[in-house]
Amino acid sequence: MAKVTVISAPAGSGKTSLLRAWADRPGQPRRFALVQVPRGQQDTQQFWLDLLRAVRQITGVDDGDGAAPAATPDFNAPAMVDRVLAELADVPGEVTLVIDDLHELRAPEAPAQLIRLLTALPPHAHAILAMRHDVRLRLHKLRLTGELAEIRATDLRFSERETRELLAASGIALSDSGAARLYQRTEGWAAGLGLAALSLAGHPDPERFVAEFSGSDRTVAEYLIDEMLERQPPDVQDLLLRTSLLDRVNGELADLLTGRPGSEQILLGLEDANAFVGSLDGERTWFRYHHLFADLLRLELRRTLPEEVPALHRRAAGWFTLHGQVADAVRHTQAAGDWADAARLLADHAFSLTLDGQAQTMQALLRAFPPGGDFPELALVRAMGDLVQGRLDEAAAHLAVAEAYAETTSPERQRRLGVAIASLQLSLARRRGHLDGVIEQVKFLDAPVSGQSDQDIALDGDLRAVALMNLGTAEAWSLGLPDAVRHLKEGAALAREISRPYLEVGCLAQLSFAYIFHGADLPKSDSFATTQQRCREAIELADRYGWGAEPVVAPATMTLAGTMVLLGEFDEGEQWLLRTEQALQTDTGPDIRLLLHQTAGMLHAGRGRLPEALEEFGTAQHLASQLEGSQALASQMTGWRLSTLARLGLTGEARAALAALNDERAGSGEIRNAVAAICLAEGDPAGALDAVHDVLDGTAPVLGYATLVEAYLLAGLAHRELGDQRAAHHAAEQALALAESDRLVLPFAMTGSRELLAEIPGHQTAHRALVTDILDILRGSSLPAKEQPPSPPMEDITPTELRVLRYLPTNLSRPEIAGELSVSLHTVNTHLRSIYAKLQVRDRSSAVRRARELRLLAARHTR
Amino acid sequence: MDPTPAPYLIRIKGHLGPTMLAAFPKLAARHRGTHTVLTGLLDQSALYGVLAEMEALGLDLLEIRRLTPHRTPPGADHRLSR
Repeated sequence: MAKVTVISAPAGSGKTSLLRAWADRPGQPRRFALVQVPRGQQDTQQFWLDLLRAVRQITGVDDGDGAAPAATPDFNAPAMVDRVLAELADVPGEVTLVIDDLHELRAPEAPAQLIRLLTALPPHAHAILAMRHDVRLRLHKLRLTGELAEIRATDLRFSERETRELLAASGIALSDSGAARLYQRTEGWAAGLGLAALSLAGHPDPERFVAEFSGSDRTVAEYLIDEMLERQPPDVQDLLLRTSLLDRVNGELADLLTGRPGSEQILLGLEDANAFVGSLDGERTWFRYHHLFADLLRLELRRTLPEEVPALHRRAAGWFTLHGQVADAVRHTQAAGDWADAARLLADHAFSLTLDGQAQTMQALLRAFPPGGDFPELALVRAMGDLVQGRLDEAAAHLAVAEAYAETTSPERQRRLGVAIASLQLSLARRRGHLDGVIEQVKFLDAPVSGQSDQDIALDGDLRAVALMNLGTAEAWSLGLPDAVRHLKEGAALAREISRPYLEVGCLAQLSFAYIFHGADLPKSDSFATTQQRCREAIELADRYGWGAEPVVAPATMTLAGTMVLLGEFDEGEQWLLRTEQALQTDTGPDIRLLLHQTAGMLHAGRGRLPEALEEFGTAQHLASQLEGSQALASQMTGWRLSTLARLGLTGEARAALAALNDERAGSGEIRNAVAAICLAEGDPAGALDAVHDVLDGTAPVLGYATLVEAYLLAGLAHRELGDQRAAHHAAEQALALAESDRLVLPFAMTGSRELLAEIPGHQTAHRALVTDILDILRGSSLPAKEQPPSPPMEDITPTELRVLRYLPTNLSRPEIAGELSVSLHTVNTHLRSIYAKLQVRDRSSAVRRARELRLLAARHTR
Repeated sequence: MDPTPAPYLIRIKGHLGPTMLAAFPKLAARHRGTHTVLTGLLDQSALYGVLAEMEALGLDLLEIRRLTPHRTPPGADHRLSR
C-alpha cells in the first residue's frame, strides 16, 4: 500500500462507501482512524482535534482518563501535528488515517499543516485522503518516490457485471438487458445505482421503471431522488424535506421540525434501508444525509415550502441554543434572516466560544453577516478577533464602539457587556504594556454577580473567570501583588468550579509568575521551592490537557526556568527556557517575550557568557521599548544590561546609557548596583561603595532581596579591591546569610564573586555548605541536566540527614560537621551510615556524586 | 480579475428539472437535445458559486464559455443581446 492514497472523484462516486467497506472488511489487519470533515470547516483546531480523537480511539487512550484532547483559545498547530504523530507512533501494528471530504477543509493554513503530517508519518502508518475535487497539496516528493497512489472517478465506476451483482445483492430481479440499460443510463455512477436500487426494491414492475428511466433526459440524480421520495410515505417525505436544512439531525430535533413524534424510528429505518442516511455515532442518535442527497432535498424544500424555511431555521436555532451548541444556533439564526438576534447571540457567547477553541469558527460566523449591516453587538466580537491577531489599534476602535453601544442597552445587559469590554481592555492594555489607570477603571470586576437566572450565571461564569484572570495578570505585571494573588486564586477556583481547565491553567500559571515577586522583599524559608512547586502544578495541569506547549502555560515554565537559573541550576533552567520558547511560538505579544530574553540573559550571565548575555538583555530592552508603560522588571533588566556592558569593558557605553535614565529609574536599587559594577570596572572601588550605600541601608527601592545580595557582593568586591579583607568577608557573609534559605546562586555568579568566596577562611563563615555549592557551580560543574533521574530506589532521606548530607561536599571533617550542626559526633556518624545505606554508596565522595545525581543538594529539597 | 459581470454560457449533460433549476435562480435555462444550456450575467464570484453548486449536485459539466456581447449566441435570452 502506498504511503498516501488520494481518492479524488465527484459527489456520489462512492468514495465514502469504499472507505467504509475497506475499513469494515472482515479480517482487516490494519486499524483505521477515520475523520469526516464537516461542511465548510473553517476551524483548523476543530479539524485537528477530530483527527487526534480518531487516532486516540484506536490507541484506546481515550477511555475517560481525563486526558481527552481539549481545545484552547490559543491553538498551536505545529505542536498539534507533533502530538498526532506521537500518538500514531504509539499505535501497535499497521494504522491507516482516513480523511474523508478533505475538500471541505477551508482554512487556508490547513494544507501546509497536513503536509507536515503526511510527510512525517511513521513507517507503519498510511493515509487515505478522499475529496470531491483535487485539493492542492504539495505532495510531489511522495509522488517522485512512488509513495503516492491516486484513485479517480473512472476507477470507482461500477462495471456492468458489478451492476448486476449489486442488483442481485439488493434482491432485485432484472433482466440482463434491463441491467445493461440501467448501467448505461447511470454510467456506473455509484450514487445513481444506489438510488435506482432503492426505487427498484419492491417495485411492482422493475423493467418498466428502467425503461422509463432510460427514456428520460433528466439528470440521473434528480430523476432518481424524485422517484425515491415519491415512493416514501408522506410523513417520511416530510421529515426528509424539513430536516434537510440541518447538517446533522437527531430524533428530538426532527420531531421539533416536523411537529410530530416518532422521528427517531423513521431515521433508524432509513439508515437500515439505504446508504443516503447514515448515523454519526455508535449509539445511532445523530444522523446525517449524504451531501448530494441533502442538497437536492434542500432545493426541493425551498421550492415547495419556501414560506416555512425561516421558521424551521428558527426552531433549529432554539434547540441548539438550549443545548449549548452556540455555533450551530448562530448559523441557523443567520439563515432565518434574524441578523440582529444572531449578532446578540454571538456577542453573548463570544468568550465561551473562544474558550471552546472555536475562535476561527466565530470569525467565520462574523464574516457571514451582510456587509454594511449595522450590528453594534458585533463590535465586541470583532475586537476579540483583532486582539488575537495583534491588531491593537483596531481592537481599541472596536472596543470604543462596543462601549458606546453598551450605554444604550438595559442595565442588566449593560453590566454583562461592561464586564466583557473591561476584560478585553485589560488584555489590550497588557499587550501594550500600558496598565497604569486601566486597573482602576475595571475594579468593578471585583464585585460578584448576583440575582440572575441559572443560564445567566453559567454564561457569566466564563465571563467572570476570564475577567479575573485578565485582572490578576495585569496586576501581577504591574506589581499590584496582593490583589493579583487574590484575583488569580479566585479565578482559578471559579474556573475549576465551572470546568474551564484552560482558565485554571491560565490563572495558576500567572499566579506562579506573581509569586516570584510575592514576598521577595525578604528571604523566607524556601519561597523559591514553593514557587517552583506552584509552577510544576500549573504545568502538570496543562500537560494533562495537552497544552504543555501553548502560550497559556508559558508564565509558569518561564518562572520555573527563572528560578532554576537563580538557583544556579543552569542546565535544567535552559531546558525549561527552551520549552517556554516553543510555547511562545504562536504568541506575538512583546510582554512575555521580553521575559524570555531577560531569562536567557540571566542564564548566559550566570554561565559567564557575557557577549551572549548582553545580546539577550539588549533584545529584552528593545521589546520593552515597544511597550507603552513601565513594567515590573524594567529596572532589573536595565541594571543587568549596564552591568554586563561594564564587565565587558564597555564602560563608556554603560555610562552613556546610564545618563539617559530618568531620576526615578536611576534611583532604584538595581540601577545603583549597575553603577557599582561600572565603578568597579573603571577601577574605582570607592565609587562602587558609594553607589550601593543606598541599597544596603534600605533607602533605594528594590525589586527583590536578590538585589540586596548583589549589593553586598559588589560591596565585598569593592572592599577587596581596597585591600580591606575583613570588610570584604563581612559583606560576603551578609550576602550568604540572605542567600542561604533559598540557596540563591545567580548573584554570586553574575558579580564574579568566586575569589571573594574562596578567600573566606572556613571557620569564619556560618554558610560553608552553601559556599561549597556555589564554588562548585562557579567552577563550571553545574548540576547535571535532569534527564529523568533514576528515582531513588530507597526510602527518602530525612530532613535531618539532608542537613548532614549538605556538608559532605565541604572539606569539613566529621567532628567539624558535628560542631556546625551542634550535635554529637555519634549522631553525625549514625546519620552518615544511614545516608550511605540509602544512597547505596560506600564513601563520602561517591555519596556526594550520587546526591548530586539525585539532586538532593538542590534547594527545593530543603524541607 | 475583471469585476464587471459578463454573460456566460454553461452546458450540462441531461435535462435539469424544477428542483435542480431552483439552485440557479440567476440563470436562464433551455434544453438543447439531451443537454441543458444555462446562460446569464455573472461576475467572477457568482460564476464560481454556480460551479461549486454544480459540483455539489453531481452535475456533468460539458462546457463553459464567456460570451462576447456583440454576437447573439444560440440559446441566449434577450438579456444577452444588444
